[in-house]
Amino acid sequence: MGEFRFKSEVWTSEYTGIKANTIHAFLKALRHVHEDVIYYHLYRNIFEFHYLPLDYANSFAYWMAENGYYVLAEKLSVIDPLQYTSLEDIRHDIIRILEDSGEDLDVLCSKPFYFIRAVRMAVDLNIVAKDLESFVNGLKKIGWHSLFYHLVTARLKLGKPINDFSRWFESIGEAELAREIEKVNLWAHTLREVKGQLISIVERKLYAH
Amino acid sequence: MLIEQYATYIGEGNIEEIKAVAEPLKGLKVLHVNSTKLGGGVSEILYRLIPLMRDLGIDAEWQVIKGDEEFFKVTKKIHNLLHMPGHDRLTSEDIITYMRTTHTNLSYIDTSPYDIVFIHDPQPMGLIVNKRQGQKWIWRCHIDISTPDEETWKFIEMFVNAYDAIVFHIAEFAKEGVKIPKFIIAPSIDPFHDKNVELDRNFITSTLEKFGIDPKRPLVLQVSRFDRLKDPFGVLQAFKMVKRACDCQLVLAGGYASDDPEGEEVYNEVMEEASKMKDVFVLNLPPDSHYEINALQRAATVVVQKSIREGFGLVVTEAMWKEKPVVGGNVGGIRRQIVNGFTGYLVNSIEGTAYRIRQLLINSEMAKVMGRNAKERVRHTFLITRQLKDYLVLINYLINSDHIQR
Repeated sequence: MGEFRFKSEVWTSEYTGIKANTIHAFLKALRHVHEDVIYYHLYRNIFEFHYLPLDYANSFAYWMAENGYYVLAEKLSVIDPLQYTSLEDIRHDIIRILEDSGEDLDVLCSKPFYFIRAVRMAVDLNIVAKDLESFVNGLKKIGWHSLFYHLVTARLKLGKPINDFSRWFESIGEAELAREIEKVNLWAHTLREVKGQLISIVERKLYAH
Repeated sequence: MLIEQYATYIGEGNIEEIKAVAEPLKGLKVLHVNSTKLGGGVSEILYRLIPLMRDLGIDAEWQVIKGDEEFFKVTKKIHNLLHMPGHDRLTSEDIITYMRTTHTNLSYIDTSPYDIVFIHDPQPMGLIVNKRQGQKWIWRCHIDISTPDEETWKFIEMFVNAYDAIVFHIAEFAKEGVKIPKFIIAPSIDPFHDKNVELDRNFITSTLEKFGIDPKRPLVLQVSRFDRLKDPFGVLQAFKMVKRACDCQLVLAGGYASDDPEGEEVYNEVMEEASKMKDVFVLNLPPDSHYEINALQRAATVVVQKSIREGFGLVVTEAMWKEKPVVGGNVGGIRRQIVNGFTGYLVNSIEGTAYRIRQLLINSEMAKVMGRNAKERVRHTFLITRQLKDYLVLINYLINSDHIQR
């Protein structure tokens, strides 16, 4: 049975110095910004989702709405990063939505968009699980960033549409547990709540053994 | 460990993450330099941040520059002119004063043993001339310099470009065209500061009674120094409108420095205006009235921060931490903190302020839910542990940046 190493990824924010005043300028910047800019504006929003305005799902969409592009704001909101395994695919889809919008892309926006990049740092927490019991103990010891890393960022890291925990459960023959974990909805619950849910799912299985 | 005390608020797991991020930095020598040990948001944060960094194995120290009245007059002028162009301008005499004091401080503060040097605000930034090879210097800019007086900026820019990074509160505060890396790190509050610690119910009640405030009736509160940019007159007008529909009291609590003639003038005008109104309490409190402010915030039904211009507005964070819905001006850092309709309201006018206060006073259940949301938002984003984590990531990044392909 392979072991599971709990890791984490924290980040801080770097302003790229790129500021867009029109959708055209936004689009132009979006084509070449570092992919961690896309990570910042879409993924950080999931991290903070439950503490942010609820009208739209990411900062790109918010900016569109702030400037009166409500249809575009809705179209960008429906992009669910959890369904992607590559930041480049997200970039491509956003560009396509904007190019196909039929809007006059050169209208001056009243509020500019500031492109910010996530400066990411992965760390090993030195917590290792070898079975369900040590896994649940590990889960209890990790923080929000670690949870986010294994549930969300892992999809990008491995380019696979599954979270790290479920992948490990599958590898140790716990396919049902893997499915249950994958079903926990990050949009519906805060990371604190998600942590509690994961612990109870694994404990239920553990005590049923 | 000191850091572990914070597990009460953010959980053990998040503390372990911070320790892991600090691990590669053990033994690193880090210096913070600012212009005062007492008073102001910067020293409040450093007061706690330094012990926390040391607790994590980082050899962190804090030094304060010296300067006479003339020097601080010049740096105040620089501060104001970086914030926005005014009638004033930086003169050759000002520059000489600034450079002379900087020269004195260069012999007084030895920056050479440190690997990382954080310089807070413009006062000590000239120390950069002592930067040695291998060191990383960070300018922590606590003000909005997006539209500065150009002459003042040109003077400051010569120092700025020698730094390895600038840190702003929010991206909107950044000056366009600055070539060095610009990081965005919001300030934070310390839940263990006297301003924020849990208080005994009896202390809260007795504090209200001490000022003649009725503990049983709803209370609207604005805490801010007496400054026109905090719009105390707008708050008074909004309160008048609210009073027509709701029984409530208003407290305007703050202070002004003894050397701030404008503060005294604003205070007197506010007093005069308030004297014509019922149920308004204007409290001019000494700067160390942390427990009193804490008690007033905890007793408030609705907290207001109707600023016209604002840096970050940590007083909003403090109220949110105490589970209060905040009605705040839609400016600066207030916009970053209040989630409109979720943790409070962002307003753009006196009428908007009155409408939202009234709405929160009438809908006490909604106000409670917003207050709880507000506390969770602060727990997640605006506690000192998050700022510490950001600084640790930044330091890690800078010491490795020479090898990073950007």
